[in-house]
Amino acid sequence: MSALASTQAQSRSADLPLLKRTVTVVRQNGHVALRHLREEVMLEGAAAQLFNKIEPELDGKTAMSAIADKLAEKPARLKALLDQLAKVGVLAFLSSKDDGALLTGMEFYALHRERCLYWLQDVYRHPLWEKIVTGKASRAQVVGFAFEKYHYIEAAFEHMGIAAANSSPEMMPHLARHFIEEYTHGDIYRKGLRSLFADDVILHSQPLPSTRALVNYLNESAGRSSFAYYAGNELLQMTENTGDAQAGQAVDDFYDAMRKHYPYTNKLIDSFIAHTKADQHLGHADAFLLMCKSVPPLTRREVNDALNVAKNMAEHLVLFMDGIDTFYGRFGTVPRLPCDIESE
Amino acid sequence: MTPAQQQYRAKRVYEVRSQKDGRELRLSDRLVELGEKEFNWYEKVAAWLPSVRGLADLSQELGMDEAKVPRFIEALEKSGLLYRTNDAGKALTGLEFHAKFSSVLSSWISEAFEHPFWERMMSGKGSARLFTGWLIELYHYTKNANRHMPLSCAYAHEKPIKQLRAKHYAEEWNHYHYFMKSLKALGFTEPQIAESVPLPMTLALSNFMRQAARRDILAYSICSAVLEGTTTDRGTYSPYYQKSADLYGVPKEAIAPIFAHLDLDVQYQHSDLFREILEKVPEMSAERASLVLDYGHQLVEHIWLWTDNIEKYYEVESNLVPRRPFDVLFD
Repeated sequence: MSALASTQAQSRSADLPLLKRTVTVVRQNGHVALRHLREEVMLEGAAAQLFNKIEPELDGKTAMSAIADKLAEKPARLKALLDQLAKVGVLAFLSSKDDGALLTGMEFYALHRERCLYWLQDVYRHPLWEKIVTGKASRAQVVGFAFEKYHYIEAAFEHMGIAAANSSPEMMPHLARHFIEEYTHGDIYRKGLRSLFADDVILHSQPLPSTRALVNYLNESAGRSSFAYYAGNELLQMTENTGDAQAGQAVDDFYDAMRKHYPYTNKLIDSFIAHTKADQHLGHADAFLLMCKSVPPLTRREVNDALNVAKNMAEHLVLFMDGIDTFYGRFGTVPRLPCDIESE
Repeated sequence: MTPAQQQYRAKRVYEVRSQKDGRELRLSDRLVELGEKEFNWYEKVAAWLPSVRGLADLSQELGMDEAKVPRFIEALEKSGLLYRTNDAGKALTGLEFHAKFSSVLSSWISEAFEHPFWERMMSGKGSARLFTGWLIELYHYTKNANRHMPLSCAYAHEKPIKQLRAKHYAEEWNHYHYFMKSLKALGFTEPQIAESVPLPMTLALSNFMRQAARRDILAYSICSAVLEGTTTDRGTYSPYYQKSADLYGVPKEAIAPIFAHLDLDVQYQHSDLFREILEKVPEMSAERASLVLDYGHQLVEHIWLWTDNIEKYYEVESNLVPRRPFDVLFD
């Protein structure tokens, strides 16, 4: 159940039921399945019939009492079904008045985690992982993957620096600490790349536009809103903090397969693992939780802003993967060196 | 690194074509023909140059006596495929730089537009949905000029250049209305489009322009010139719009505003702006010239990936068109 659903089910001023836009309704053999994020709710018998009757009215504009009147339904029966749907997160109750503060920091934390895990699915499903694990990725894609990871991590100098320099008072200690802990991490990747390329080449190499897109999106968010930036950064952090055993094993399996198919990447992989361990050791997994505990209650606008940044960040992460897969798949030059006046 | 690795770099090859007995490599200023064996050697040398492997490794990989390798590298230099890094050390005037830019622009534009999306659209294998997606992203890209053009004015420190950039902004800032008009002709409402969310690569284009604006006004201006270079005359785009209209049933009312916009750009002669700006630059160090050129080429690569992002998103029937922002109450 989402934090928002529980808050709204209890709100007395909110009485305009809305079936969430992201819900898919599937009807089969008299049953109604409501799919939302990774959940499915099944309605049968009388509940399914009632839902079919009221679905067109769940537009967030019609009050519960008006729906009951219009459809000649018992208000208590209607309310019972709608409350249940709100409880499982497929329905929201809107209010005709401005609700002001909507969520506490901790409620936001729970909602953010639920949504980010869903948005990250596209990243985990990206075909590049499978290509690397099965040995189908080209040398340019594999070495390119290492270079792009290096550029992304090295860019902590940019976005974490901008974030710390533009932070709100309550966010400043978190953002300052994060920058100080992270700015050397690019060197961990650089060390791995030095097993294949000259240091000068690595330092002057150029990220793909898709990596630049991810970094620039972080930079722009960091300069605009401390909280929204960190909500987006947390989504990225969630892909590194493989604290739980199952996720940790999946990462280990990935690296084992990569070593097997691409023996020349041994030292690169050592650097990837060293970085993951460094992140876990720093306890970044708790940083966002601490921030959420310290922020004042958030308005709908603030919640939407932060979650839109997180969602966009997930899309930029898919783009990051796409860039490595597509660009290095088509243009096999790696490392990518910048132009000079003679190179063109 | 060996002396050869410090001394040489590979020139950019824009296209490699298979031929009967080998390959034809297209550089910005020439075509180089190599036999299959020589092409294979060339690829190995190009990969070896930035690596930490020694000359003995390369000689073994090429199956060539170590003493002969430097001669082969020199031959590649003579053919134009490699160049010496110390050749890039001279300062040049703004106009000399413009001549260099003009000499590579057509190679860059063809690189930017060699994405298979264009062939797909022109051959009838595209769709009205892809055309609409492209138009929505063009709307965002044009509207996002307001995120980078005024920033470039703010960061241009010299009065004459500031003036030229500001004039360009004044002429361009509201051109997104043309695309809004087209999209309305396709049945969208104004709020649907205005409140929609651009694709990540569309946003990336304007974020990259913002990065360039903060870095160096000439780096920004070359990016702007590459973008203007894509619309210098109707010849570049007209066939695409006309053919798409015929193939995918796009109404005339949706195409007319796009042509009106292209005509306006030509009328303003925005493609000459970069030259006007460079006329105000008496000297550029080799380092600055390289940086500026590099920004221009990065923009070319951005356009290629932008096209890729548009195709990948809009070809999926279940993806929303237009893309709406997340709302905690509605989603």
